[in-house]
Amino acid sequence: MEEIYQYAWLIPVLPLVGAMLVGLGLISWNQVTNRLRQINAVFVVSLLGAAMFLSCALLWSQIQGHAPYTRTLEWAAAGNFHLNMGYTIDHLTALMLVIVTTVAFLVMVYTDGYMAHDPGYVRFYAYLSLFSSSMLGLVVSPNLVQIYIFWELVGMCSYLLVGFWYDRPSAADAAQKAFVVNRVGDFGLLLGILGLYWATGSFEFGEMGDRLQDLVQSGSISNFLAIVFAILVFLGPVAKSAQFPLHVWLPDAMEGPTPISALIHAATMVAAGVFLIARMYPIFEGVPAAMNVIAYTGAFTAFLGATIAITQNDIKKGLAYSTISQLGYMVMAMGIGSYSAGLFHLMTHAYFKAMLFLGSGSVIHGMEAVVGHDPSLAQDMRMMGGLRKYMPITAITFLIGCLAISGIPPFAGFWSKDEILGNAFAANPVLWAVGYLTAGITAFYMFRMYFSTFEGKFRGNETEIRHQLKSADAMAVAAGFKEPVPAFGPGAMDTRELAATHAGHDPHAHSEYPHESPWTMVLPLMLLAVPSMLVGLVGTPYANYFEEFIFPPSETLAEVAQKAAEFNQTEFFVMAGSSVGISLIGITLASLMYLQGKINPAAIAAKIKPLYELSLNKWYFDDIYDLAFVKGLRRLARQVMEVDFRVVDGAVNLTGFFTLISGEGLKYLENGRAQFYALIVFGAVLGLVILFGVT
Amino acid sequence: MNIANFPWLTTIILFPIAASLLIPILPDKDGKTVRWYSLIVGLIDFALIVYVFYSQYDFSNPDLQLVESYPWIPQLDLNWSVGVDGLSMPLVILTGFITTLATLAAWPVTLKPRLFYFLLLAMYGGQIAVFAVQDMLLFFLVWELELVPVYFLLSIWGGKKRQYAATKFILYTAGGSLFILVAALTMGFYGDTVTFDMRSLGLKDYALNFQLWVYAGFLIAYAVKLPIFPLHTWLPDAHGEATAPVHMLLAGILLKMGGYALIRMNAQMLPDAHAYFAPALVILGVVNIIYAALTSFAQRNLKRKIAYSSISHMGFVLIGIATFTDLGLNGAVLQMVSHGLIGASLFFLVGATYDRTHTLMLDEMGGVGQKMQKIFAMFTTCSMASLALPGMSGFVAELMIFVGFSNSDAYSPTFKIIVVFLMAVGVILTPIYLLSMLREIFYGAENKELISHEALIDAEPREVFIIACLLVPIIGIGLYPKMLTQVYDATTVQLTARLRDSVPSLAQQQVPTVSFRAPEIGVR
Repeated sequence: MEEIYQYAWLIPVLPLVGAMLVGLGLISWNQVTNRLRQINAVFVVSLLGAAMFLSCALLWSQIQGHAPYTRTLEWAAAGNFHLNMGYTIDHLTALMLVIVTTVAFLVMVYTDGYMAHDPGYVRFYAYLSLFSSSMLGLVVSPNLVQIYIFWELVGMCSYLLVGFWYDRPSAADAAQKAFVVNRVGDFGLLLGILGLYWATGSFEFGEMGDRLQDLVQSGSISNFLAIVFAILVFLGPVAKSAQFPLHVWLPDAMEGPTPISALIHAATMVAAGVFLIARMYPIFEGVPAAMNVIAYTGAFTAFLGATIAITQNDIKKGLAYSTISQLGYMVMAMGIGSYSAGLFHLMTHAYFKAMLFLGSGSVIHGMEAVVGHDPSLAQDMRMMGGLRKYMPITAITFLIGCLAISGIPPFAGFWSKDEILGNAFAANPVLWAVGYLTAGITAFYMFRMYFSTFEGKFRGNETEIRHQLKSADAMAVAAGFKEPVPAFGPGAMDTRELAATHAGHDPHAHSEYPHESPWTMVLPLMLLAVPSMLVGLVGTPYANYFEEFIFPPSETLAEVAQKAAEFNQTEFFVMAGSSVGISLIGITLASLMYLQGKINPAAIAAKIKPLYELSLNKWYFDDIYDLAFVKGLRRLARQVMEVDFRVVDGAVNLTGFFTLISGEGLKYLENGRAQFYALIVFGAVLGLVILFGVT
Repeated sequence: MNIANFPWLTTIILFPIAASLLIPILPDKDGKTVRWYSLIVGLIDFALIVYVFYSQYDFSNPDLQLVESYPWIPQLDLNWSVGVDGLSMPLVILTGFITTLATLAAWPVTLKPRLFYFLLLAMYGGQIAVFAVQDMLLFFLVWELELVPVYFLLSIWGGKKRQYAATKFILYTAGGSLFILVAALTMGFYGDTVTFDMRSLGLKDYALNFQLWVYAGFLIAYAVKLPIFPLHTWLPDAHGEATAPVHMLLAGILLKMGGYALIRMNAQMLPDAHAYFAPALVILGVVNIIYAALTSFAQRNLKRKIAYSSISHMGFVLIGIATFTDLGLNGAVLQMVSHGLIGASLFFLVGATYDRTHTLMLDEMGGVGQKMQKIFAMFTTCSMASLALPGMSGFVAELMIFVGFSNSDAYSPTFKIIVVFLMAVGVILTPIYLLSMLREIFYGAENKELISHEALIDAEPREVFIIACLLVPIIGIGLYPKMLTQVYDATTVQLTARLRDSVPSLAQQQVPTVSFRAPEIGVR
């Protein structure tokens, strides 16, 4: 067994090798590499497959009770400072490795179908592989600096992938927004790391936590400072896991191709924030004030995301806000000390949300056959409906995902969400109430999404709706709210298609009705449906294998077992029953509104117009940030430049001086005569020196 | 002749200069022989540098090595005295590397090729001399000599406003170097013995007041070169007008002369004054970082934008010099090398883009990513390196300066918190202006006007090769920084110890990284 630990470094390195080789091929032999489409894909996928196999072996070995393993190498040194890098394999790492590799593997298979017609097919695989490598490097990191390194690298991959279709201005904006907002979080993380290192002299999680506690207790560091450091570190997860107030980048990031939304912006990268909180648990645990901040941030974000998701019509945007909301649950769980439940939800969410996103990609792919490559039509749920008839597998897997996220037993989401809510109830009823309410809203918007997409009558050919959507889009463009989007979307990048759509006729809109996606897309959906249904069963309160495997570093297995033994069946039934109850209410409401049409949603929206507008405009966060930060910074920068040009340059140039003495002054200099004299003088001195030397 | 006694450094310095003198008599009709000749000379000299350091240089020795000294003008006590230690050695290698690549980058130059390559080779030797000479007067001479080729390279091959830029450059730098001369002379004549040898000068026991004056003089001269706010305004003009190869030299090497001299003279020879000036350096460094980043964001001219980003990055060097920690000083040297590589690559790419779009104004660009995919990819990579993405050299340097400064015991916690916070703000600003720049050049719908340009073709193999050569060390250092830092670590550690001795409050303490707790991590 020892060998697989010695070779565990291969897990992040294998995909890196794939990315580098394909990347080199693209740079050096672009045409050839691009022609070998599927050969590249198979190469990249099989390398990741090998990493997946190794990860599974490690998880199995960890379950068997192998001790944690760490290997490091001195990376940087200066005088007495030494910094090591390497990898560590423990329970948490092994679990994350398996989640990341399995989801990445399935997404890569899916990509083959989704990106089949895209000229950037090979480049996309190279990026995907690079991302997988960075993400795997992040989870095996043995210290905070290495986490920071990979933290930034996954951010860069996200930037590249969101901006993948770089001729769309909206994608370019979204990519930049994602990177910059994440940098704001990294700014906090960096300051937190520096502060903690200054205080504790270590970058290692466990050591940092112990020392910080000692320092606070002995009074050499004020409690306030400890809180500040912990909150600064938490800013990192706030940005990466899209928590309030830095959540604004995630919905925009949906401009990237759908496989990316599934892999990076739902299952893995955004969960890295939760992972970091888990890693830094020894620190946070000792700082209750920071834990409170984490819990309330998470709860508020969960509510915020859910309320915005209700009114979204773009299927991917809706799922994005749902991701924000679910990440809020995980962060809240971490904050109330429910370590195991938070990570359990991370795992279940990774599978069912990846499946939901891939399902939405499948829907978009099908819709494009009818409406053409136009994201404003192909992704809009008002154009869909009745797709179950045409895409049965997609519909069933999507339904499973909806049931899982809504917390209906025995699907995966039920067990994890219920555990969080149960622990929240014990910790703080206010947080529980927010989480409980959000659970109801979640069920409502997910089934709103399901019913309007897959049930009812197909609306894709109703020209009236189409015109309405197009003109709304055009109005937004004209009003300057939105950049004009070239009319082609996922799955197509050919410029000839672009020209064709502009001519008013889309050759790809060849069909009357959508069709089911190819097997490479459907197979991953079916495979992801299995964990979405069953993976929750490893963490039932009757036999919580998950909690026995993943528990906070400060607890021992015996304590965990003791807690599990205190399990109260009645209490569980009350809690679970009530949360299933509110979910069922949400589903019923959604079916009344969007399936049977007995309640008119438009009428309700008109009645509570301010609230409706608030949700539709995403609580106006984008507008406020644009006004306060984007425009503010631009103005500031322009002013600084003016100062630089007029004051600093002017003063040092002595422009005023020259103009006073003679208007000809500068012109004279520009003639080159002055410096010619200077050169002569200089040359004479030099000649003299050489002359002296010779004699 | 014994191989260890061979005058290696003198050969390295004089070989390109001697070779440049042959250029006027080379038989050459179409200008092609000259460029091959220069390239080969550059390569030979670079190979020589690498060989000599590989075989003759001892990393663990913090003192000067490969020392040669010949009397030149005994009346003036002027000696031809050269030598390298950990401070100069990485920069000498950098010079050889960047200058050789700049020769390759100058391939398309057709205007007066003989003069161009003559100046390029003359600069090659001159730049190495700046880093290697160990005599103050000689240092002043080569520092001045260095300006002449740059002046011509700017004023003959530059853009539209080249005369203005070249004049401004020469006035600023020549004006600044007067201070070097005055300071060097006063130092040389101070005390009982008259000497201009740097080591002897460093051993003299100066009065504090005297040190402060001399320090200020040097600081002005090097502040122009580095550059430091508010003496930086020649740089955007010079950079805005220079052609790509000259750009690479300006950003890659010339700016480093300021940083090097600041460490070599101000810190090493005048440590007592350094203790007084260090907080000012830190403040100036922070101003550099934020002020230049904001200005860069507002610039609409591509070259000026990158020029300001150089100024911003040099702020880190200043802070690193003023940390009084091993790590900070180490980071400052690393930042110089790293920026030398990254700055050169970015300026080269700006030049390559300009060759195709024929405009530097961002408002006129946009949507060229489709047609120039390789340039797009390389530009993105180099911008990422510049914004300190981990895995590349800039990140390691900035991280070392960050950790070094925040663990420095020479400053009060409040001061440190404010400075670290502002430095980190700079870290947010960098991606804002660099990514905006990328977005405005490459992203978006195709710009019909630009796309129709015949010149708008993707990168040719020569250009890919140059960038690849620059990226190998950038990524290599980023992945394993010890590779480079171990080369000069001994020298910087020794220098830090000397600097700490001069600060009364620190003299008794140990180096800060061990004063608190052992920082060893992860060793199991």
